[in-house]
Amino acid sequence: MTAIPVPKKTRLLPAIPRRMILPSILLAALILIPFAAPLITGADPVQISVRDRLALPSWEHWLGQDEFGRDRLARVLYGGQVSLTVAFVATTLACIFGTLLGLIGAYFRGPFEFVTTRLSDVVLCFPPILLALLVVTLFGPGAGTLVAVLSVLYFPSFARIAFSEALRVSSLDFVEASRALGTPSHRIVLGTILPNIAGPVSVQYSLTAAAAITIESGLSFLGLGVVPPAPSWGQMIRGARQFMNQDPLGILIPCVALILTIYAINFFCDRLRDTLDPKGALGGGKDETSVPVAARVTPSDETADVVASIRGLRLQLMSPGGPVDVIQDVSLTLRANQCTALVGESGSGKSLSSLALMGLLPGAIHQAGGALRLRRKSGQMVDLGTLTAKELEDVRGNDVAMIFQEPMTSLNPIHKVGAQMVEAILSHRPMPYADARTRAIDLLELVGINEPARRFDGYPHEMSGGMRQRVMIAMALTCEPRLLIADEPTTALDVTIQAEIIELLQRLRTEYADGLSLLFISHNLGIVSEIADRVAVMYSGQVVEEGPVSQVLNSPHHPYTVALLESMPSSHEELHSARGDRLRAISGTPPLPDARPSGCAFRDRCPIAIPSCADAPPPLFNSADGDRQVRCFRAPEAGSEAAR
Amino acid sequence: MTPLLEVQNLSKSYPVGRKGLFGKRMMQVLREVSLSVQPGEVLGLVGESGSGKSTIGKAVLRLIEADSGTVRFDGQDLSTISHADLRRLRKDMQIIFQDPYASLDPRKTIRAVLSEALDTHKLHMGTARADRLTELMTMVGLSPAFLDRRPHEFSGGQRQRIGIARALAVEPKFIVCDEAVSALDVSIQAQVLNLLADLRAMTGISLLFISHDLSVVRYISDRVMVLYLGKVMEVGPADQIHFAPRHPYTAALISAEPSLKHESNRIRLTGEIPSPLTPPSGCVFRSRCPYALPACAETVPPLRDMGEGRLKACIRDDIL
Repeated sequence: MTAIPVPKKTRLLPAIPRRMILPSILLAALILIPFAAPLITGADPVQISVRDRLALPSWEHWLGQDEFGRDRLARVLYGGQVSLTVAFVATTLACIFGTLLGLIGAYFRGPFEFVTTRLSDVVLCFPPILLALLVVTLFGPGAGTLVAVLSVLYFPSFARIAFSEALRVSSLDFVEASRALGTPSHRIVLGTILPNIAGPVSVQYSLTAAAAITIESGLSFLGLGVVPPAPSWGQMIRGARQFMNQDPLGILIPCVALILTIYAINFFCDRLRDTLDPKGALGGGKDETSVPVAARVTPSDETADVVASIRGLRLQLMSPGGPVDVIQDVSLTLRANQCTALVGESGSGKSLSSLALMGLLPGAIHQAGGALRLRRKSGQMVDLGTLTAKELEDVRGNDVAMIFQEPMTSLNPIHKVGAQMVEAILSHRPMPYADARTRAIDLLELVGINEPARRFDGYPHEMSGGMRQRVMIAMALTCEPRLLIADEPTTALDVTIQAEIIELLQRLRTEYADGLSLLFISHNLGIVSEIADRVAVMYSGQVVEEGPVSQVLNSPHHPYTVALLESMPSSHEELHSARGDRLRAISGTPPLPDARPSGCAFRDRCPIAIPSCADAPPPLFNSADGDRQVRCFRAPEAGSEAAR
Repeated sequence: MTPLLEVQNLSKSYPVGRKGLFGKRMMQVLREVSLSVQPGEVLGLVGESGSGKSTIGKAVLRLIEADSGTVRFDGQDLSTISHADLRRLRKDMQIIFQDPYASLDPRKTIRAVLSEALDTHKLHMGTARADRLTELMTMVGLSPAFLDRRPHEFSGGQRQRIGIARALAVEPKFIVCDEAVSALDVSIQAQVLNLLADLRAMTGISLLFISHDLSVVRYISDRVMVLYLGKVMEVGPADQIHFAPRHPYTAALISAEPSLKHESNRIRLTGEIPSPLTPPSGCVFRSRCPYALPACAETVPPLRDMGEGRLKACIRDDIL
């Protein structure tokens, strides 16, 4: 019989990352050195030599001798053994007991949850030092009692953190999937949930160990911990305190040992938290503005109705393997009263292009080419690349606004809707509060909110998703923008509500002020066909087809646009799975920006690709009337351009 | 033919907050829902948020406990069955989730994910295991070479295929697909829908296909059930429900769906979906219904048999 594939044990950390090396060495050293005491010094930590009391450091006694003439080096090392053992044993016990309690409480709920939370609450009610004092007075001092006290003291923090984390993980689908598979509960709890909460629990472990060392020293200092003459850091501080004036070194030594150890543990857990938290690994600020670009294009086709134009935009992501072009070549012209839709699948770069227009690129991405031009309220076109951060902020507040997919995360939940709107209005244009309030209520009414005056004093959580999206639109309009960017504004909404929001945006475009230009980002071609005048289809960081919506969606020329339309079940209402029909899906997935095929990025999924598609990336071919553009060698436009 | 799954009068409510000192406020998410799935049949469940469609999916698998009603699967009453029997029965009923990023344990390899099910039910032990894993990966269109990778190395569409492979591992008779293709990009969604259609043809499996996307549901389902605020509005063959809806809510839902063909006479619903805490009296849809009559507020409309396998819960026959 060949070997059965044994499920491999999941490793918590794939390998020790670089940032963990220094803290790990430091911590290991501070733990190991006390236990190597016999190798470092031959002195006995409890041997009294009254003649040499408070002797200064000498060749035999490197750190001098204490008030009973005992060797300080030996005492601080052996004392460290006791302090560290007590702290780590107590923390380990607390961790095991607390985590199990938390796990069981969170997974089985009901009475288990009650026991876990109430037990923790009861212990947490006692002030820690007071509880420790009480127990030590009852059971007498000693290392054993200390371990017991500290583990009781610290298990609630583990129980709580394990409980809340396990509750979060239990609600994830993969735990539900395990239950649906019939996996026994103990295997789900220990095999699936425990590894997924290990991060926060291990950080809590290091924090608790540091705290335990402090409490142990404190209790020993009070004479309630380790029994003299056995050494411990708290004991040493207690002894040296009386002679502080004559012999400051005596109190300094244990204090330095204590500080170093706690610092090493905290340093270690800070780094551990950064390592375990995937978000902590990312550096860089969020709102970094792009640096001005060297090569600037000055477009000549900017008539007065052009609100914004993007020409040949190229965005690079700084990655360890060198810069990667996430956006390769995007050009768009946005006009007043017009809605332009940007369509594409996830990762096509549609959201990034729009963020660039707001000057809000993520820190790791910068503009490597092309021009982003925007018309200000004064009528002047400015190049975003040449603006300072301050000027960009001004542009964002006055000329362009944005609404997002998830309206709940964009509104501050603890402030009233009206207060947030008034703040936005006042930040653009100083005016009396009463006027700002009137304006906010007018805007709420404009976006179709019933009883706007009552809603003005409400909180975001009192509203439904559709209403919150209306509020977000009203907020975006506070600065009277000429350009409104809507990034998947209806994706999180129900169909019937979605239809209403689309209608609202349609109405605003024509009715609002002197006309709004709308940049509508979506993956849904159905919505796009309803709202947009022009559409740009994006694939892997490029615009592959651009033109009037009715033409592009009714007779697509790029094979990717064709594929997108074909794979929608709604475009084939005659097909049904029960009759064995298959949807006309294209194979494969979009390439990652650093692994695009040579030539045309779409060619390895393209049903009509020819060998020459691999040779050079296709340019955007213009149609005969100049109204459409397609990036495909095999499109009709390519032929007509060649003929000219 | 005896149905594979038969659900009768399923109700479920959740406590939300407090009422007074001791009372709990209850939110009713399912109101006496009955449904049945025949062997080899795909039943589509459609509805907006708060319609209770996901709750039905989890309640029929007994991942959550219903308040009342019966669920019979393969002739056995799931509500009275012992824990050991339920675990054994789990082999025959599986679930595929919406979010391909949340449905796989990030710390397990694909081999461990797929083996979990097989180990639990002592299937394909020993030498047969490797063959079975290869077969499963091939079945969902993934290379068996990927078995030792972890979920983060896969794209959303590939993860969804792994989720499907996990559900198929135990050779179930029935799978609940809870918004299984909703989070996928349209070109990937088509691939996964084709995969489900192929599996259907190959294995004769039954599906409870839950989705808010009416076109997807029409393509994949034999019959469709439309839910609103935990109540069944209309049931019928998929094509008929889609092209000739008889309930005003179904009609509104279908006409609200954005499509490439512009519909001139769109049925507009006004107002928001009411909170399940304070549903309207009588017909739960009446507060948004363009055809509502005063009588709609008085009694809950029964689900009436309209012939040809169609049922609807609306008192008006003079519309649509």
